[in-house]
Amino acid sequence: MDESLIITETERNQEWRAELRKNLKNKDRTAIPRVKMPEVDPQIRNKSFIEVNDGLSEDIAIREAQRCLDCVDPTCISGCPVGINIPKFIKKIESKDFAEAIKTLKETNVLPAVCGRVCPQEVQCEKQCFYTQKLKKQPVAIGYLERFAADYERKNGLASTPEISESNGIKVAVVGSGPAGLTCACDLAKMGYDVTVFEALHEIGGVLKYGIPEFRLPNEIIDFEINQLKKIGIKFIPNFIVGKTISFDDLKAQGFVSFFVGSGAGLPNFMNIPGENFVGIFSSNEYLTRVNLMGAAKPDYDTPVISGKNVAVIGGGNTAIDSVRTAKRLGAERAMIIYRRSKEEMPARVEEVKHAEEEGIEFFMLSNPIQYFADEKGRVKQMKIQKMILGEPDASGRRRPVPQEGSEYIVDVDTVVVSVGVSPNPLIAQVLKDINISKWGTIVVDENKMQSSIEDIFAGGDIVRGGATVILAMGDGRKASVAMHEYIQQKVKQNIK
Amino acid sequence: MNKIIDKEFFSNNVFKLVIEAPEIAKARKAGHFVIVRIGDKGERIPLTITAADVLNGTITLVIQCVGVTSKKLSLLEIGDFITDVAGPLGHATHIEIVGTLLAAGGGVGVAPMLPIVEAMKKAGNRVITILAARTKDLIILEEQMKQYSDELHIWTDDGTYGNKGLVTQGMEEIIQKEKINQAVIIGPAVMMKYASLVTKKHNIPSIASLNTIMVDGTGMCGACRVSVDGKTKFVCVDGPEFDAHKVDFDEMLFRLNAYSEQEKTAYEQYLKQ
Amino acid sequence: MINFNSIDDVLNFAIAEEQAAIDLYTLLAEKAVNPAVRKTFEDFIQEETRHRDKLSQMKEGKKFTLQPSEVQEMKISDYTLTIKPSPDMTYADALLYAMNKEKAAFKLYTHLAARTAAPELKKIFLLLAQEESNHKLHFEIEYDDHVLNED
Repeated sequence: MDESLIITETERNQEWRAELRKNLKNKDRTAIPRVKMPEVDPQIRNKSFIEVNDGLSEDIAIREAQRCLDCVDPTCISGCPVGINIPKFIKKIESKDFAEAIKTLKETNVLPAVCGRVCPQEVQCEKQCFYTQKLKKQPVAIGYLERFAADYERKNGLASTPEISESNGIKVAVVGSGPAGLTCACDLAKMGYDVTVFEALHEIGGVLKYGIPEFRLPNEIIDFEINQLKKIGIKFIPNFIVGKTISFDDLKAQGFVSFFVGSGAGLPNFMNIPGENFVGIFSSNEYLTRVNLMGAAKPDYDTPVISGKNVAVIGGGNTAIDSVRTAKRLGAERAMIIYRRSKEEMPARVEEVKHAEEEGIEFFMLSNPIQYFADEKGRVKQMKIQKMILGEPDASGRRRPVPQEGSEYIVDVDTVVVSVGVSPNPLIAQVLKDINISKWGTIVVDENKMQSSIEDIFAGGDIVRGGATVILAMGDGRKASVAMHEYIQQKVKQNIK
Repeated sequence: MNKIIDKEFFSNNVFKLVIEAPEIAKARKAGHFVIVRIGDKGERIPLTITAADVLNGTITLVIQCVGVTSKKLSLLEIGDFITDVAGPLGHATHIEIVGTLLAAGGGVGVAPMLPIVEAMKKAGNRVITILAARTKDLIILEEQMKQYSDELHIWTDDGTYGNKGLVTQGMEEIIQKEKINQAVIIGPAVMMKYASLVTKKHNIPSIASLNTIMVDGTGMCGACRVSVDGKTKFVCVDGPEFDAHKVDFDEMLFRLNAYSEQEKTAYEQYLKQ
Repeated sequence: MINFNSIDDVLNFAIAEEQAAIDLYTLLAEKAVNPAVRKTFEDFIQEETRHRDKLSQMKEGKKFTLQPSEVQEMKISDYTLTIKPSPDMTYADALLYAMNKEKAAFKLYTHLAARTAAPELKKIFLLLAQEESNHKLHFEIEYDDHVLNED
């Protein structure tokens, strides 16, 4: 980290940047109010899958970039899990050098168009921004600017192939094509490795494709980024389940010398309450996969989805919000969030909750389903909700929800989406008997190298963390690629001796 | 990959496809299935692998036309490609020496039954097979099943082939005559429900291979969930085979019919085209 | 119905219950397929052993005071379907199962407290009930943090 601090300082002192700082006084910069992201009208967008956030125009982006004070000590960088050189890319935008802005981003972030949209900047870079920390004002809209730069590149055909080291012919396998796998694959490919990404589903992108709805992250953006990765020589093999279609041993026999496992946390958690298997009750994974991956909302796509008039989504994370907003778009008259705690404690991004409220989503806080009832065909028709109160903070400091006896009441529902949490995909643990697994089913790794208890197998993302964010997965993929490179080079040296 | 090498109709509605899939063929064991998709707008459906040829790198699927996707598959020709084929999925059948096995196959359920019967026979068991269906047209793979059965009995509801009556009657007859150590039951959910009741009555340990709706087939969505002994299990990763006496078939039937109206409408519209 | 004629009787009964729990968890640990679940049951054994030893110490005269506050009850397992233990059970299931067992123990001691007139005995039953409740809450928090992490 020290080294990169020196780099950022040296870059800050370059002439173009010093000039830029002189163009506008700091007090004028801080007087500019934070940009408001243009959004599609809620009553229009809640009936379609069009992207909600419209993106910034060039002029507006430049103006927002002017707000950045180009701090001597850029605390924003410390808030970024992959350490993007934030002031540099923002200043490039300010100086209208958009091509350089995106290039800066791509030095450390493989998927800026994705992160600019889905990262919780408010608890990461923007939280550490000088505006937030010292001025107690709204931070620079770092996320919106990242998205702007990435979209600009895509729309104007500026995409350049990054520098790649000479090919070393060494084969590496990446299991899973979600954000962790894509990042690891990209970094290793840039180092000259022969990388193959194996994906169990028929589409590349993992949770980016099946989990995050198009109104937050259009699939075409993911496909664009994947095409860029193909251009640097990464091979993608869909419909290939490592551990089932082929074993790790067979892959080794085929010449793969190291593996990165990014198989994700795709196992849905259910609540085990009576009636949970009735027709019309889904895990959020199933509901979102049908709509996002299989096109169930589109009439010319074969996969159906059940989405009725009264839809209840249980949970308060981003996935729950995604599910309930999807239900609204599928025509629900009532699209409800049922959450066990209070609004302040919802793990979902504040912006997404706000969007949901605007779109007409109903929020039932401190509420929990305890039973479902069905009609004679086994289709859910009602649920029993129990109210909760928040108890005193426990040793961990957290207030726990405590059920209130006698507070139960019945709500009519014809579709329920259970979005209480996810667990790691159990397949890899099942096929690698010797690998060290935690009690929750995550692969245990050295936190600096992302190396598992099997020396040639590395892992990152949700399979290590349980359900977490895209950017953390990407950070893991990056760390793992560095460690894999070290590991492989050591092995090569040993073999030469 | 996924090229159709051979195709054959057993009847109007039941057909066989042999598909190029060398890795799947190599990894496949009896009981495994694949997930198949046709076209970018297609849905994902599970199909049991009836046979595999490792040398030639092919797998065989036997399919009954029941809806849009199976119909689309039936219209593909030799040389065509299936968009996506993923597998092998599920747990392989546990093959062991039990003594005498009663294999009760209903309709197209005989297709996944064939590799199990073959493996159990080769393992040294005595195999008594019942092929049952509504009518003669739906009796499939008779010759192949005969090859691996010590006895083969055919029952049709309407009597157009073999004995007239239900599979449950056929089972009772056999159970009366000799000691059965284990049963394996595969067929439509209703058939499996009643067949299991027969073996439960006679305390014969039984395995059913469940055929629920699936979307991903790799354990990530729960579309295929069933209750087994009061516990929720995923057919795609915990099954497809379960203790038949512990499966809640009524719940499974509800869930199987979740999309029946949409499926019917879609199929009718498709046939009109 | 068990009759308690002395504090010793009560404590002996409680100790026997804890031992039964230890024996059960030992069996489950042996049979667990998942090594992490096995370790979990082994941890439960340690906790129940501590519990049993605490009761033994009480028997030998070392007094323990009753904290006046009631233990919070998240009641997670109250509304879930009953878990039957099996060799391939997941950690989440193991927690639910343990919650149920602790609750049953809590109910037993609370019931006994209500039925006894002798204040000394009552106090001990309530103390034991609170211990079980604490134990149950510990499992509930684990479950709440990891399984219901988005609810």
